[in-house]
Amino acid sequence: MKITVCIGSSCHIKGSKQVVEQLQDLIRENNLGDKVELSGVFCMGKCQQGVCVKADDEFHSLSPENVKDFFASSVLTKM
Amino acid sequence: MNNLCADIGWKSINHEGELLCGDHVEIVDRGENSQVIVLADGLGSGVKASILSTLTSKIISTMMAEGMKLEECVSTIAATLPICSVRGVAYSTFTIIHIIENSTVEIIQYDNPKVIFLRNYETYEYPMTELTIDNKKIFKSVINLQEDDIMIAMSDGCPHAGIGLAFNFGWKEEDIAEFVRGLAAAGYTAKTLATMLVDQCDKEYGYRPGDDATACIVKVRKREPMNILFGPPRNRDDADRMMSLFFSKNGKHIICGGTTSSIAAKYLGKTVKASLDFQGSDVPPIAEIEGVDLVTEGVITISKVIEYAKDALDKNELYEKWSFQRDGASLICRMLFEEATDISFYVGRAVNPAHQNPDLPISYSIKMNLVEELSECLQKMGKKIKVSYF
Repeated sequence: MKITVCIGSSCHIKGSKQVVEQLQDLIRENNLGDKVELSGVFCMGKCQQGVCVKADDEFHSLSPENVKDFFASSVLTKM
Repeated sequence: MNNLCADIGWKSINHEGELLCGDHVEIVDRGENSQVIVLADGLGSGVKASILSTLTSKIISTMMAEGMKLEECVSTIAATLPICSVRGVAYSTFTIIHIIENSTVEIIQYDNPKVIFLRNYETYEYPMTELTIDNKKIFKSVINLQEDDIMIAMSDGCPHAGIGLAFNFGWKEEDIAEFVRGLAAAGYTAKTLATMLVDQCDKEYGYRPGDDATACIVKVRKREPMNILFGPPRNRDDADRMMSLFFSKNGKHIICGGTTSSIAAKYLGKTVKASLDFQGSDVPPIAEIEGVDLVTEGVITISKVIEYAKDALDKNELYEKWSFQRDGASLICRMLFEEATDISFYVGRAVNPAHQNPDLPISYSIKMNLVEELSECLQKMGKKIKVSYF
């Protein structure tokens, strides 16, 4: 699975750094390093809905508070 | 005109317990490629010294900038400087470095430590002619400039550093030359070199300077053009025109902004590869586009660059951060402050609807202010700036 996190200006201010760090930790804790590819992208054109995250081609609007829920419902279930 | 230019930077520290510095550096441009730099050291320290060195450097630099003959300026200032009633000597010593069309330098020295001249990173013993103007012994030299020539002008606070502490006789001229020689090859700017030199003096004094100490460094270097793209054009139909202008220019290319970098990547037929490596910094990670020297996020990164730029022009305490870190803002700082001499901005005036939220510190007007603020700072650093809006 490929997860892309927007690291553009708006999303950065809304906490993309924390989102990235939490995802990195979660991937490590669940030993998914070889199954999940985490990458960055500049702006998905949906700045109002930041932090913008795509899991494969599915769009998600995250915040540092709901990363765990997202990971449990949209990542772990698909492994 | 040749393709050389002068990078000038200086730093002072005050005598322990003094609020004012008794040394003064004045830099006046004479046209695009000539400058007059005066470093004056008022006798003693504190208010009296400060007023006299300011007076001396202002008078000389103003007269020279108006095109008066050097001898005339020196003779005026020599005649104007009062002899101290207590000490029986002239109040203010001075060093003049007059760069002419970036090809020749005239160095005029009156009682300051001798200007150290490095050529090809070796000490260069330049010829001096002794002149006597109004009973003052003044040394004059005329030297043709080459790339990488470095001149170090100092007040006597520098060679006197550490007397009785680290060294018996102060920091010797050849040791100062050696110190700068070692650092100069690493490509630091004149301002950074001067800061490192004066910081070292401060250290030799045990951080309690027994005199005002000032170093002014002039580095002769090649012109280096740099181009920055910032923001998408207001009218998207102008994107191709903006890109072709930007990419057709000589020198390195920096792109700041998420949408901006996707437009550029599309124009080049390449992809934007964003990294997730924050480099321990609070600015967003950088990205890569084949054929572009640096790609970063926009507003937050540039705000950080401005913070560094303001500090570099003031106390220059943060250079230890931006000169080593690998985040987007530090990389831009090194390219703009150290490498570049001529910087062209290509600024897009598009309004990002998502940014027009009062909670976000990145509205349109702030973006435009950033460009103005940054170009002002860079101008103060002696860079030539051109800004085009789209």
